[in-house]
Amino acid sequence: MRRSHRVRLTVTALALSTLAGCGLGDNSGTAADGAAVTGEVKGKVSIQTWALKPKFTAYMDGVIAAFEKQYPGTDVEWLDQPGDGYSDKVLSQAAGGSLPDVVNLPPDFALPLAKQNMLLDVAGADPKLTEDYVKGGIDAYRFAGRTGAYGYPWYLNTDVNYWNSELLTRYGLDPKKVPAGLDELIAQARTVKEKSGGAAYLMSRKPGLGDLANAGVKIMAEDGKSFTFNTPEAAALLDKYVVAFKEGLLPKDVLTDTYAGNAKLFNAATVAWTTGGGNYITSLATDNPTLAPKVVPSAAMGTPPLYVQGLSVAKGSKNAATAVALARWVTNAENQAAFAHLTSIFPSTKASAGDAFFSKSDGSNASDAKVIAFNSLAKAQMLQPVQVNDAMSTVINQQIALAISGQAGSKQALDTAVERCNQLLKD
Amino acid sequence: MTHRRWFTPWLLAAPAVVWLAVFNLWPALNTVVLSFTNAKPLGGGRFTGLANYERAFSDEQLADALVNSIVYLLICLPLLTLCPLLLALLVEKRLPGITFFRTAFYTPVIASAVVVALIWGWVLDDRGLVNGLLGQLGLADQPVSFLTDRWLLLFSAIGLTVWKGLGYYMVIYLSALGNVGRELHEAAAVDGASAVRRFWHVTLPGVRPTMMLVSVLISVSALRVFSELYVLSNGTGGPGGRDMSVVMLIQMYSRGFTGHIGYASALSLLLFLITIGPMLLLARLNRKAA
Repeated sequence: MRRSHRVRLTVTALALSTLAGCGLGDNSGTAADGAAVTGEVKGKVSIQTWALKPKFTAYMDGVIAAFEKQYPGTDVEWLDQPGDGYSDKVLSQAAGGSLPDVVNLPPDFALPLAKQNMLLDVAGADPKLTEDYVKGGIDAYRFAGRTGAYGYPWYLNTDVNYWNSELLTRYGLDPKKVPAGLDELIAQARTVKEKSGGAAYLMSRKPGLGDLANAGVKIMAEDGKSFTFNTPEAAALLDKYVVAFKEGLLPKDVLTDTYAGNAKLFNAATVAWTTGGGNYITSLATDNPTLAPKVVPSAAMGTPPLYVQGLSVAKGSKNAATAVALARWVTNAENQAAFAHLTSIFPSTKASAGDAFFSKSDGSNASDAKVIAFNSLAKAQMLQPVQVNDAMSTVINQQIALAISGQAGSKQALDTAVERCNQLLKD
Repeated sequence: MTHRRWFTPWLLAAPAVVWLAVFNLWPALNTVVLSFTNAKPLGGGRFTGLANYERAFSDEQLADALVNSIVYLLICLPLLTLCPLLLALLVEKRLPGITFFRTAFYTPVIASAVVVALIWGWVLDDRGLVNGLLGQLGLADQPVSFLTDRWLLLFSAIGLTVWKGLGYYMVIYLSALGNVGRELHEAAAVDGASAVRRFWHVTLPGVRPTMMLVSVLISVSALRVFSELYVLSNGTGGPGGRDMSVVMLIQMYSRGFTGHIGYASALSLLLFLITIGPMLLLARLNRKAA
């Protein structure tokens, strides 16, 4: 009898610990949404960045030292996480309730945390937010179904087209007349294929949601509750890639991006076109110094994509006033401009719009690319909704590959992708 | 006479019991509970009954993954049960330089599965070694789509698994062959039995328990394959995701801030049930044979 009682107790304890451990409870923050954060800026706060050490250690140390000097009595602990596994790190911090006071989160990381009420609405906490930062940057942290903004936009970037002028010239194309749209791109890709005998390519990546958005396809419903990219227009765009793939205008392994992605093939001078950030030529100069001077940059076709990094404030911060002040300090115009002078990123502050450093080229192709990227930011948009998670990206990628390989019709593949993504969104 | 307290054995076993409870039993029970919820990494979830299982039974990707696993099993099981035995019979002989061959056959086992799969990826790529050779020999006008065709990608991964597993199972067979009495072979030879008959009537019965063990190990790893398919398809699962294994599906669903932990747990549990099936079958066959 005693024995069976003990067994029952053990089973009950295990079941209870299992239920408790599986995280079926809810997490809630403590600060009220939408309220301005007031209070004295002092005390200890932590800030977490993403892979800034060791390259930008001096910069961050300087920014933090200046903050502590500006606000006597503050003590900032700087945490920097490695590039790989950052999302897992943030996820474990969030799940364990140990999110740093200020944390670097791109919008797609911020959305699930905002949904769990773990991030402070900085638009409410800081009424001057919209005065100082560009609209696109703030909008990246505004999420459908939620009021407010959940991060200070920190730095921005976009894509620029890069063309291998030597390959273009060798195969009868003019580097000064680079394609302005998909049809021209495919036509020129055909020329490269014919004249190179298939040894070189112009195109080497399959389309993604960004390409569909650029073709005018609405990716998601306004309420963010369903995907809508299975339109005839989207299917028509994929059909163009289907034909191009069948003609051999793209390497076969674009379907799985194996062996060498688009940029690697460009670096190896096998492909004449790639896209990259404003500093692509600078990094190419290390990988392939002979190719770098031959690269011609041009603005992205259609609407350029907008990439945003931001600093969010944990709602559970015990020192919210200092955390908000620190996030604002790190992202202020002066500090962002100094950061942007160290590496090729662009500030998200309105005050930086007139900075000649970004808008005037020194005549080199690397500098031209930087200026093109900076000018493109004015019309850049986030082409992929932040709701698209890893599983959805995989599904979309798989179905687009299936369509392009000709193993499924474009519309059918898009329907499948939308159906599966909607199921994932619903879960 | 020494007096033993009733709890002494429990005390001695406690570290192992606690370890097993925390790192095996609790996660396993947790997976069962989660499979009946729509849990996410953040914010918990709620009980959804059998919804995850209903969804799994109508999941086309899971159906594809199961087909892949079965094909994997059907090809790997005979190849990896028999070839390493034949290889072990070859390298068992005490010949000059045989250690070199034993080492060579075992080398792929030491190499990381991911590194090996990456190398195979380069070899089988459109511009890789195999396609280059096929082109130069005039055997193919166009590169063969080893890594982008559903079945070729699957067979490439199977080839990689077999190549990598040969040395491992060969070593297991080598130790089993050492236990087969030499006097039995000699007696059979004296009675006029040919090499084939000696293999069939002496060697095979002698290594049968090992063959069963090897078969179980192969079945389990074939059904749980991940690295080969993941790396060869660059994590995409091939066009349409038709080359995904069940473990790849679990990984896909459970990843990230909004990972679908509930559904991934249901898939894990289904995979567990599917995996113990062949194990039980082989154990039954073994008992019958014995």
